[in-house]
Amino acid sequence: MNRRVDEVHLTPPLLEMRQVTQTYSLSRKSLLGARPTLTVLDKVSFDVRPGEAVGLVGESGSGKTTLTRILTGMEKPRQGHVFYNGADIWAGDGERWRNFRRSVQVVMQNPRSSLDPRMRIGLSLLEPLRSLKIEGDHAARVHEVLDQVGLSRQALERYPHEFSGGQLQRIAIARALMPAPKVLIADEPVSALDVSIQAQVLNLLKDLVNELGLSLVFIAHDLSVVAYTTSRVSVMSAGRIVEVGKPLDLFTRPQAEATRNLVGAILTVEAGLAGNALA
Amino acid sequence: MTKPQQDRAQDRTNVLEVANLVVHNTTLTAVRGIDFTLPAGGRMGLVGESGSGKTLTALSLMGLLPMGWQANGSVRHDGVDLIAQSDKALSSRRGRTLSMVFQDPLSSLDPVRRIGQQVSSVIRRHTDAGKKEAERQTLELFRLMSLPRPEQLMRAYPHEISGGQRQRVMIAMALACYPQLIIADEPTTALDVTVQKQVLRLLNTAVQERGSALIMITHDLPIIAAMCDTVAVMYAGKIVEMGPVAEVFRSPRHHYTKGLLESQPTMDNIALDGSSRLASIPGMVPPLHSLPKGCAFHPRCSAATERCRTEIPQLEPGARRTACWHPIAAPAEAAIQAGVSAS
Amino acid sequence: MTMNQPSPMSAPAGVPISPPQRKPRRKLPRNASLLIGLVLTALFLAIALISFFYLPSNPNIPVIRNRLLPAGTPGHWLGTDVLGRDIIAQLMVGARTSILVGAGGATFSLILGTIAGLAAAASGKITDEAISRGSDILLAIPGMVTALVLAATMGSGALTTILALTAFFTPSFTRVIRSAAMGVLNEDFITAAKLYGRGKIFVLARHVLPNIAGVMIVQFTLYFAAGILTEAGLSYLGVGVHRPSISWGLMLNEAQQQVGVSSPLAIWPGFAIVLMVLGLNLLGDGLRDVLDPKLARRAS
Repeated sequence: MNRRVDEVHLTPPLLEMRQVTQTYSLSRKSLLGARPTLTVLDKVSFDVRPGEAVGLVGESGSGKTTLTRILTGMEKPRQGHVFYNGADIWAGDGERWRNFRRSVQVVMQNPRSSLDPRMRIGLSLLEPLRSLKIEGDHAARVHEVLDQVGLSRQALERYPHEFSGGQLQRIAIARALMPAPKVLIADEPVSALDVSIQAQVLNLLKDLVNELGLSLVFIAHDLSVVAYTTSRVSVMSAGRIVEVGKPLDLFTRPQAEATRNLVGAILTVEAGLAGNALA
Repeated sequence: MTKPQQDRAQDRTNVLEVANLVVHNTTLTAVRGIDFTLPAGGRMGLVGESGSGKTLTALSLMGLLPMGWQANGSVRHDGVDLIAQSDKALSSRRGRTLSMVFQDPLSSLDPVRRIGQQVSSVIRRHTDAGKKEAERQTLELFRLMSLPRPEQLMRAYPHEISGGQRQRVMIAMALACYPQLIIADEPTTALDVTVQKQVLRLLNTAVQERGSALIMITHDLPIIAAMCDTVAVMYAGKIVEMGPVAEVFRSPRHHYTKGLLESQPTMDNIALDGSSRLASIPGMVPPLHSLPKGCAFHPRCSAATERCRTEIPQLEPGARRTACWHPIAAPAEAAIQAGVSAS
Repeated sequence: MTMNQPSPMSAPAGVPISPPQRKPRRKLPRNASLLIGLVLTALFLAIALISFFYLPSNPNIPVIRNRLLPAGTPGHWLGTDVLGRDIIAQLMVGARTSILVGAGGATFSLILGTIAGLAAAASGKITDEAISRGSDILLAIPGMVTALVLAATMGSGALTTILALTAFFTPSFTRVIRSAAMGVLNEDFITAAKLYGRGKIFVLARHVLPNIAGVMIVQFTLYFAAGILTEAGLSYLGVGVHRPSISWGLMLNEAQQQVGVSSPLAIWPGFAIVLMVLGLNLLGDGLRDVLDPKLARRAS
């Protein structure tokens, strides 16, 4: 595993944010005063290489959400660049943009909200192909992806309310896989799921990275979940990435204060039973 | 941090005795007959996923069931049966002998009243303390919860303080009248992970200091391990396993408990080089309207047999209770059995 | 007399949380208000349709020898008015007018309100502010004033009443549609659609409209009812329809002049208004119960 991580590091990044600064202007405090600005991201660089699973952790308000929005192209950075396959996604033509849209797909936190309740699953799955005007045998692709996420074909004729949260998250992952993306961005994909289901979805994401050679960006507030799924973790705090490392290094030798706080916040069953979890 | 001593609990009476509690509405039964007792000062964890009935169990103890839901059975507390009590009698108990801490502190506090006012009005409602005395006690509670600048906090509004502080205010309010029992429903789920531990620590000491019993409802097993003496695992409206936390967590006897312990990614069960693989429980939590026959867990259980499909297993009596036809053998028993089969 | 509008309570404040995964069948037969509402509404629609092909007698031609016949008279089962015109025939023609005016006003304001509401919800802050504040201003003008001004400039009649209702209802429709659409636009599936490249128009047409259709149908029935009440009020005041058109409000107006002579005259049109409005409101309530659970998603 470690060897693979090192090999991965030799290849150039597939999706990369370089020196991104994002500020929002707030409303004026006084009539003639200047608008105060809020710096949400401060010269942040972040990347993922082909076939690599990277994690991003941080408390709420650390800038995770904004980073995700910029990485997925939902927001244009005020300063800095986002590169896909070496090309600036905001500088190219429509073709480059379409290629980016198709290659970077997102799985969101709340599966019940991420599927249209009035659309049959089959149609929801076809939507990315239709929207991105991807040619080919759509039906065959749907069946292939359903197999990859472990869902039966009967799902296609049903509506979202007929499924449980865990199944819906599988469907959302299936939709993200439809255009055969190279990068999957998963934003808190298990935090809205039942405990007994979380492992299923985490294992599925791990398998997809291994079997399809996908790159995965896994964003979560829980360091344990990120450590389980990824091989390189970035820790965010107050709009900056304060530490990057392998999960083992972060846990055993946390350098930044934010990392130490996150590691220190982890509760384990063993420590709890020993009576020193809250010490 | 020490847990409350068992012996102190045993020489006093039980603070709660729940027998055959059923919670239902016109079409669904969410809690299907549960029994447990909680000694004074005892701490019980209630573990379960959504749909397990753990929250409705708690709300029925508080007399706060949502519209259309009804509780049957018996809940003995402080010499009375809570289920037979009128709304008025229950409401005079809430905050006095029983209190509850909810998941979302922002929606549990009144946004337009000052925090100090809200906490001291609870004290004035249930005790004969005057305004000055209630405020003094409120300040003391804020100090107990290590809230910064308690005097200023008295005059603050809920939106002016952080989520962690709001939850500490909620705990202070719950503890205000030295209740015999506090029910905490996922009290740290809405908080940032880094704040969670601090809030738990404060809850732990404050509950101990005030001598209250605690029921901690969560799906987060490490929290139960840190806070509780006993644990009850609920699945589909029934308690499937119950006993001292250390025993249940170290050697779970129900396959669901084992599955939960193995499937939640915690530092206990994952290797940090990415090589580990979590054992996941297959399938999904059954919806209430179509529970499987027999043991509700059997469709997801690797040890299920014909008997599991037809007969509902009951909790066997004793301190360590399991509702399973094929409980997992304890390590010692397993070793003996292995020896027998080997010879 | 004020213009009637469904109370703001009828707008969905939040999507109710339904127990997870319950089968939606069984709901229809169990929903009594929906059934009663459907029956009443269908009854009046049928009466209005029949009136085009068959009337017991001409409701506009006075027959002096039949003046003020009591109810139960053979041939004139609900009696006649002061000019000897059959009440049943008048009620049947009145149903036409009420339905035409109510449905017309509700339909036009639904269309305009949907366009404006969706535009406000989906475009930028400036458009949203303009539309929202614009509807606030329109809402501040009493509907009766609008109706009177329109009647004075265009002459009173069914069309004028429909226009007055449209002007009066559109701003509130806009608000309801805007807030419902905003709710849908905040869902993650909209973000997902944008991420795979869907544009605004597609999102509005294929994601937002189907998801607010329930709200639109419910609001339509409620405003339909409000339109009928308002029409009755306007005709009663003499700024609605005139003979040879007949409306229930007009019948009330005429009956009022005879109240000392024959009070039952006012009862029949009043009864018709109450039943029709009740039917539509029950239908709206029933539809809300049936349509909303499908919209519901677990918040967790």
